[in-house]
Amino acid sequence: MKILMFSWEFPPLIAGGLAMACYGMVKALLELGVEIDLVLPTKEMVYFPLKKVEDADTLPVVFLDPVRQKEYDEFFTTKTASTTESVSTILERLEFIGATFSPETYISGSELKTWSHIFEKVSTIKYEHTRTEERVWENIKEYLIGDEDIFKKVQELTIRAEKYAQVLDFDVIHAHDWLTYPAGMLVKKLTQKPLVSHIHATEFDRAGGAGDERIHKLEYEGMTYADLVICVSKYTANMIISRYNIDPGKIRIVHNAYDVDDLSGLQKERIFKGPTIIFLGRITLQKGPDYFIELAGQVLKTHPEARFIIAGSGDMGRRILYRSAYLKLKNKLVFTGFLNRKDVEKILNSVDIYIMPSVSEPFGIAPLEAMAYGVTTIISKQSGVSEVVQNAYKVDFWDISKMVEIVNYLIENPEDCKAMGERGRLEVQNIGWTEASEKILKTYQEAFQIYDSQTH
Amino acid sequence: MLNLIFYFQVHQPYRLRNYNALEINKNHDYFNHTLNKEVMDKVATKCYIPTNNLMLKLIEQCKGEFKISYSITGTAIEQFKAYRPDVLDTFKRLADTGCVEFIGETYYHSLALLYDTNEFLEQVEMHRDLMRREFGYHTTTFRNTELIYQDRLSDLIHEIEGFNTILTEGADRILNWRSPLFAYKNYSGVISLLLKYYQLSDDIAFRFSNRGWAEYPLTVTKFVNWVEQLSLAEQKGRSLFLNLFMDYETFGEHQWEETGIFKFMEKLPEYILKNPHLGFAQPSDAFQLANYQQETLAFPEPVSWADAERDLSAWLENDMQNNAIDAYFELLAKIKQSNRFDLLDEARKLSTSDHFYYMSTKYFQDGDVHKYFSPYDSPDQAYIYYINALADLEERL
Repeated sequence: MKILMFSWEFPPLIAGGLAMACYGMVKALLELGVEIDLVLPTKEMVYFPLKKVEDADTLPVVFLDPVRQKEYDEFFTTKTASTTESVSTILERLEFIGATFSPETYISGSELKTWSHIFEKVSTIKYEHTRTEERVWENIKEYLIGDEDIFKKVQELTIRAEKYAQVLDFDVIHAHDWLTYPAGMLVKKLTQKPLVSHIHATEFDRAGGAGDERIHKLEYEGMTYADLVICVSKYTANMIISRYNIDPGKIRIVHNAYDVDDLSGLQKERIFKGPTIIFLGRITLQKGPDYFIELAGQVLKTHPEARFIIAGSGDMGRRILYRSAYLKLKNKLVFTGFLNRKDVEKILNSVDIYIMPSVSEPFGIAPLEAMAYGVTTIISKQSGVSEVVQNAYKVDFWDISKMVEIVNYLIENPEDCKAMGERGRLEVQNIGWTEASEKILKTYQEAFQIYDSQTH
Repeated sequence: MLNLIFYFQVHQPYRLRNYNALEINKNHDYFNHTLNKEVMDKVATKCYIPTNNLMLKLIEQCKGEFKISYSITGTAIEQFKAYRPDVLDTFKRLADTGCVEFIGETYYHSLALLYDTNEFLEQVEMHRDLMRREFGYHTTTFRNTELIYQDRLSDLIHEIEGFNTILTEGADRILNWRSPLFAYKNYSGVISLLLKYYQLSDDIAFRFSNRGWAEYPLTVTKFVNWVEQLSLAEQKGRSLFLNLFMDYETFGEHQWEETGIFKFMEKLPEYILKNPHLGFAQPSDAFQLANYQQETLAFPEPVSWADAERDLSAWLENDMQNNAIDAYFELLAKIKQSNRFDLLDEARKLSTSDHFYYMSTKYFQDGDVHKYFSPYDSPDQAYIYYINALADLEERL
């Protein structure tokens, strides 16, 4: 099975959880013998032909333009004589093709010419050109418009999709989130290959309610036009059924996974003597940091020895900082700012309780990592991850008094807290990507069959 | 007779470094030694050394007629010793002239008066010992941090043997129609009060180099002319006091040498002393010189010399400042209760008012001044590092 996959992130190019999820599933799919041509929003027009498991780490590159390919080959053969490629040279190669650490810099908007001509071409394709289809392309043309950098980049990726469609050979198209949906749709239109749209987060999750209308439209069209839709949780499936009216019959649920290391021998290195409770993630409305702050204030009334950490940064950071001062949390709550991977690991190894009070979390992979460190977790019921794990407390994000009750109980019964953390640690050892990728492969096969039976 | 009373504030805080939460319980060093040394070096070269030399020269030239006073904080003296002992030597030479008064204050330039009376009294005593040790001077005049004053302060200072005068701001809302040129008494009539004449003080300290100011440039002739006009208010032979209170760093630091600030100061005593109705005095002279019944003034609410409001809002306005200072004094009490005197010096360095000033979010006119004086990118950062330091200090208990 050969797949053309569009994604916005892939390590080492990381903006959020999407990169890690893609990496986990791609690696596991490669293990199952699936071949993947991965397309990212790189500055240079390239794709990554992934055939072996190691390719997910080394990221071999192919240019669509043979002249550039030659330049690239010459540049790197003279540069690296050694046979084994180090991490630094992978980063150098990615630098060369214009894929730097922040996806915001992938494509320069200034290179963008007129882009809507692509849809005129689409409408000349007479094949299966129904009235519904006309509406789809009208919508894409209308809503994929905006002066924001991100919209320019999505337009660019969409234009390029035509080239990839011409050059590459594949059985199924797999597109991750709205940023790549128009590209995936276009390739389906041009090649008549089946499209699987993967939804990791909806605009409703990000905005905490109705968000950008254009993005809502693109999400709707992207999932409606797909042959099958993969949801990261039942929670998300319900969301797209009720909000986008997506046909439940074509939804497949594949929970995200997390390949954890066995950290059973690890000694805790505490920061605070007192029981320590952490919020770790982006400080944005979606993640519910405001609920965490209120909880801290209430717990401290009963347990002044408790300590709270807010780790991360985000657009709500200042509001949360001021609110914590207003609530007089004294020096019992500290802010770490943005943390790199190493510091995330360090801090998880120093705390007792992890809370994810997300308002809406399609999946939410972070608690799995906390659990791997034996940290007792309390997670929002409004999350996909709560469908997967057993050994975590599950609470409605708005139910602060319930969360306070649990935290107080755990502080007063440290043995129970430890035991729960240990059960969680054991549980996440079994949540790997292998099972999830088997489901994805099944979805590919299904999409291929549906399509096959329709066209022949 | 109109007496000019110069009082200069000499202060340097221990600035905090970017103390990250991940360092809690691992690294107990909160201060930015590099920056503190750098600032001390810069200010010593631009201000302390040249200004002290100028003052020495003027005192010598005027043969006892030119008098000045200083309040030097404990944190400044410690940093002189650590980074620029030559500065402390010139202050000692100034002390030896007999024309210099040293004024008492809290050792750490703290806001303890408002939160912890015992701590306040301890810091006052520490500072008094320091003045005795370094300069052989027994302080009789007091100024609280940033000239913060309220009635309660006079009660406390009166209780300490030997203090008879307090300096504070001549705030309009207290004086109303009264003139700051008279010596006053505190509300209960037991302590003398000298009030800063803020127009003329700030003409030198803030407006001297301001080209947008209608009176720019400020020449000695112009300034002395204004002072002479004030002395017309002198009636029935009463002694008046023109209290020119300012940061010592005005000379060469806030107002660079190029502005002519040193030349201005160099000529001023000569021009003043030419007029038989004008002279210089030290704050402690006022007690004897005031040859009239001193009126009492009540300060039910605190005043200070900072910002346009002349209240506490530079340090204690927003939630960050209030949370930080509440957390601080709660922790200080804990440290004392558990007899951890080994932590007391570090803890007290965190009581310096500058830490709270850096957290100010007043972004209009005064915010500019705050930004100029802050080593951090934002008030939020100043707050985060301070809270992290307090969190670590508490873990050490």
